[in-house]
Amino acid sequence: MTQQPNSRMSAFFLTNRAALFTLLALILLPFIVGLMDGESPMLVFANQSGNSKFAQGLAIEIFILALYALSFDLIFGITGMLSFGHSMFFGVGAYLTGISLKTLGLSLPATLGLVFIAAIVQAVLFGLVLPRVKGITFALVTLGLGSVFHIVVMSSEMGPYTGADVGLQGVIAPAFISPANERLRFYFIALTILILVYLLYKRFVDSPTGRVCIAIRENEGRARMLGYNTFYFKLAALTLSSLTAALAGFMHAIYQPIVSPNVASMGFTVTALLIILIGGVGTLNGALIGAVVYRLLDFGLRRYIGESASFISGTVYVLFVLFIPFGIVGTWKTKSFQVKQGWDRLRKLFG
Amino acid sequence: MEYILDVQNIHSFIGQYHILQGVNVRVPKGSITALLGRNGAGKTTTLKSILGLTPPREGKVIYEGKEVQGMRSFDIASMGIGFVPEHRAIFRDLTVEENLKIAERSKGEYIRKKEFIFDLFPDLKRLITLPGTSLSGGQQQMLAIARALVADNHLLLIDEPSEGLAPVIIEHMMKAIQLLSKDSTIVLVEQNFLVASQLAEYYVIIEEGRSVQEGSMKDLANDKAAIHRYLGAA
Repeated sequence: MTQQPNSRMSAFFLTNRAALFTLLALILLPFIVGLMDGESPMLVFANQSGNSKFAQGLAIEIFILALYALSFDLIFGITGMLSFGHSMFFGVGAYLTGISLKTLGLSLPATLGLVFIAAIVQAVLFGLVLPRVKGITFALVTLGLGSVFHIVVMSSEMGPYTGADVGLQGVIAPAFISPANERLRFYFIALTILILVYLLYKRFVDSPTGRVCIAIRENEGRARMLGYNTFYFKLAALTLSSLTAALAGFMHAIYQPIVSPNVASMGFTVTALLIILIGGVGTLNGALIGAVVYRLLDFGLRRYIGESASFISGTVYVLFVLFIPFGIVGTWKTKSFQVKQGWDRLRKLFG
Repeated sequence: MEYILDVQNIHSFIGQYHILQGVNVRVPKGSITALLGRNGAGKTTTLKSILGLTPPREGKVIYEGKEVQGMRSFDIASMGIGFVPEHRAIFRDLTVEENLKIAERSKGEYIRKKEFIFDLFPDLKRLITLPGTSLSGGQQQMLAIARALVADNHLLLIDEPSEGLAPVIIEHMMKAIQLLSKDSTIVLVEQNFLVASQLAEYYVIIEEGRSVQEGSMKDLANDKAAIHRYLGAA
């Protein structure tokens, strides 16, 4: 009798061993990188270890990207709404954080509250068009909304607040999470937020509401004829997604010395799309893996090849779509690496 | 006679095409009523018009004494109408159990109906954790019907249940539909006259978007001229 909880525990460890191992590796990462440089964990704790600090920085960027990609996977991968204005969800969080801290001089919790309120408002704004447009029309309308935001951010009238095309600079992060002096703390906070949001998302997708979202992706008409007012489910997904992307933007504005207007552009929406295409659309953990691959590929290519890196990364993404159209996680699950089909698709591309 | 559904002279359009040009269907409570007619006559459109998926522009749809035309389809469905669309429209990305659970209109319905459903379709019990994609055609059709049984539906609209199924499976499905008719009223669209005539008590023939003849199935079975003329069967 006493063995039961034990065996349940070991079953939990067994089924989640990959996730737990990754978690352990991420907790140890700053110290391992430090040790590889011959620097003691104490030095890492004191934020004095150069290379470890650099690795933490790269990881923080990946965590933020992963949060943002997760939020896109929820509306596109799970619920089936293709939004081309998703960067606005992130941009609103980032810019509002900057303006609130720098211009309005609000505290960090007040800023976060403001960001969440704005996130809900913009989800409702996107939701207003939901019942009227579907599929590609929804993509175009959201593209329009996102473009308006990008133009406003870039306008010279908004310059004093947003920094126009230069970007928002001079946001002072509170000392206790200063990315320069307290990076290790920032690293663990960002990691914790990512894990909590990921678990929340898993919970949501496995809930009855999440199942209806998947049904909507597959066939909205069928979900309606079962008696579901699909609008509310889509709005719920949009709101959760908007809150998450705005939270990612909030962290971005605190971590980065400058909020570039690029994060409000269509290009940044495509980044989210690319990440989940790499990782696997509608899989959630694909967003995490995709963010790692995307950021490291981008970083590595830029470092060793330089400016022509985007040409190579573009080629890599095309190969991804041709050979593993279900992304890394999707391919892993179905165990179908499409080598032959990939070559066939490649041949067709060139006639 | 008490009618659970009374469709009065409805006209429906798909795009600019005037598909239904005056369809009348009366469905006695507790019966199985078959909509008969050739391909493209408007049978499926009639079902969709009842549910508001193809809202009629003219005419009335009276369900349990209430006019429902013009209402939103999910509101109509919530009044207790289950729809089993053609081509076994299940959710392929959900498991068998999730497909059933999603049809709940109030909590606990699935748990209550589970036993009844698995008695009716024992195959589904075995497949419960599998995703919809891995089911055979017959199993998908069973699941589509089972899904309409989870909620407390008074009226089931079943579209082409025998289409593309092997004879053995058709027989099993017919038995299931007969069992169901004890508790609820069924409107059946069926191309296979043999299947329809064995199941249904009443029929309505739809021809080029109009209901042209109705009555009891027994009379139609003897009316060789009508069968030949409207259904093209011998």
